[in-house]
Amino acid sequence: MKIALFTPCLVNQMMPEVAVATLSVLEKLGHQVIFPQGQTCCGQPMTNSGCFNEAKNTTMKLLNAFKGVECDAIVCPAASCLVAAKENFHEFDKSAEAKAVIDKLFELTEFLHDVAPVTAFRRPLNKKLSLQLSCHGIRMLDLAAPTEYMGPRYNKMEALLSRIDGVEICYPERRDECCGFGGTFSVDEGSVSAKMGKDKAQAHADTGADYAVGFDPSCLMHLDGTIRRKGLAIETRHLAQILDLAL
Amino acid sequence: MERKVQTHAKAAEIFCRDESRVDWHSKALWVLREKRDRAAGSLPEWEELRALGSQIKLHTLSHLGQYLETFEANCLKRGIQVHWAKDGAEHNRIALEILRRHQVKKLVKSKSMLTEECHLNPFLEGHGIEVIDTDLGERIIQLNHQPPSHIVVPAIHMKKEEVGELFHDKLGTPKGQSDPTRLTRAARAHLREQFLSADAAMTGVNMAVASEGAVIVCTNEGNADMGANLPKLQLHSMGIDKIVPDMDSAAVLLRMLARNATGQPITTYSSLYRGAKAGGEMHIIIVDNGRSEMMRDKILGEALKCIRCGGCLNTCPVYRRSGGYSYGHTIPGPIGIAVGADEDETHSSPWACTLCGSCSFVCPTKVPLDKIIFHRRRLYAERGSLPYGKGSYMPLVGRFMASETLLNTGMAAARTALAILPHSLLKPMSGAWGKYRELPTAPGSSFEGWLKKNRPELLVKSTKNSKGEN
Repeated sequence: MKIALFTPCLVNQMMPEVAVATLSVLEKLGHQVIFPQGQTCCGQPMTNSGCFNEAKNTTMKLLNAFKGVECDAIVCPAASCLVAAKENFHEFDKSAEAKAVIDKLFELTEFLHDVAPVTAFRRPLNKKLSLQLSCHGIRMLDLAAPTEYMGPRYNKMEALLSRIDGVEICYPERRDECCGFGGTFSVDEGSVSAKMGKDKAQAHADTGADYAVGFDPSCLMHLDGTIRRKGLAIETRHLAQILDLAL
Repeated sequence: MERKVQTHAKAAEIFCRDESRVDWHSKALWVLREKRDRAAGSLPEWEELRALGSQIKLHTLSHLGQYLETFEANCLKRGIQVHWAKDGAEHNRIALEILRRHQVKKLVKSKSMLTEECHLNPFLEGHGIEVIDTDLGERIIQLNHQPPSHIVVPAIHMKKEEVGELFHDKLGTPKGQSDPTRLTRAARAHLREQFLSADAAMTGVNMAVASEGAVIVCTNEGNADMGANLPKLQLHSMGIDKIVPDMDSAAVLLRMLARNATGQPITTYSSLYRGAKAGGEMHIIIVDNGRSEMMRDKILGEALKCIRCGGCLNTCPVYRRSGGYSYGHTIPGPIGIAVGADEDETHSSPWACTLCGSCSFVCPTKVPLDKIIFHRRRLYAERGSLPYGKGSYMPLVGRFMASETLLNTGMAAARTALAILPHSLLKPMSGAWGKYRELPTAPGSSFEGWLKKNRPELLVKSTKNSKGEN
């Protein structure tokens, strides 16, 4: 498939390794990847603060970067930004052109699980992974059944990773409790956010896993800052980085 | 206890200073969440019940006038006296008038967040009527001069040793006694005296059944029943949102209420009150107090589906780590923000939330709590009353993020600073982030910069964006 890469500002500016790994994974799977220039922020820091007027220009700039770009899918390695982009694009632009962009938006996990499923990996990976089930990915994008939900169980990240030979999968205690990042929440509510991050980082470390692995770079950045502050014996990795090692 | 006017973040920061207490508080509530998961999971039809519960409440709210009138008519047929109060002040006046007519000196009261919302206790006490809260948790906090810190377990913030101290002080239990069974026995003996000497009883209402003209009161201790069954005069206060059409609807909600609150299949007592005792009087006060105003807003209005199980408080990672007194409104936690944010003078409570969405999935009637909280933020922004300086810095963030030039040069400067400056120098400037966490390690360039250098052939440009800056 022809895929346009959507790298939210946090990934583009601060975690380019996640985007590089995403590109590598998609190309190894035989997809053609392009990168539309002019991408900015999805507007989430502003809309989550209630500031829709302040979000409009940013969001429209991002949306325009994808309008008319020839591709089969727009793939993003950041669940929370993808949800915000979908909602904000719709909020500010109800045109058919905008809808065409929105309909092509996929988060990386759902793309690799639902749209162009990866069934086999070439290389084994002898690592223990503690999965970070970030909130917006599971509760707004259906990447996994949240623990509050009593319907059928599913978990797309686990389904993907369990296809890699040698990988051992585990979960932190209170497996899908929020890590406390929450965008501006991390500074507005510094103490609670830090305590949530500390509890989550410790829970990941307590599993004895090599890596805490997730689909949301912002949560991983928060956990990473906490892990290094506390000197815990675990590191964070984005799902794309793990998949890249096994492809 | 007077609430201090301070932002949620400030109150939470104070609460978080005692980390072992935060851990204890968080765990006590998480245990309830785990019990809830087991109880809900034991019903294969749980998700169907939630859907049904949501539909029942939505249907009732959209026919509210009709059901309230049916309820009143059926109550009157049973000789129950029905009163209508547009706000808390009117509710309190009505209650006082009824109590005065019967020369009531002592009122025993149980299980009513509504009377907390109306500030009934200080009002009645100011008029010379003694009010005794008889639910054990409520009595503990009343003796401690505190409001509830949780809507179902109101004294959850107190350790048993602290209750022991309080009981020693107020009820004369031996010093140092903190055994829950002994403390409960002491409370029981103390409350028996109150029940026997009370002139009237008042309870809250879990559900008001329109087809029956009856109210349902759910408790575990039976103290509400002890109160309501002894004196001749009984009063029940309810919000207009407590109406359900019939017993079948009530049954659906009752199957979820206790399971979602504490993990019990049902509360020990689920009592249906449908008339005065011989020679007595039964009064129901129906209160609006802003509820019909909330219904004008389609999103806020869904908060009225709530059946007050407290499940959203137990699961909320922020509530568990900041405590019930950090919110600046009577009802704390997610549902408190949804229904009570206007009480918070600092306008900060809608930001006491990461929008993780756990509450909305826990909710037995599918109140979209995270969407309501998100919506409340937007309402504050539109009114120009944002907390934490957001009103001034968000427009700047908006301009920064919307400009590729600003974003790229700004972030390149940030990466350089992170890469070359000692972090000890940067931390003071990084505010709350650097206070609690290490700063991010800086990559050499942005991804787009990497692409330009290594894979320029992948770069394309939308025709829509061609005149954009670069």
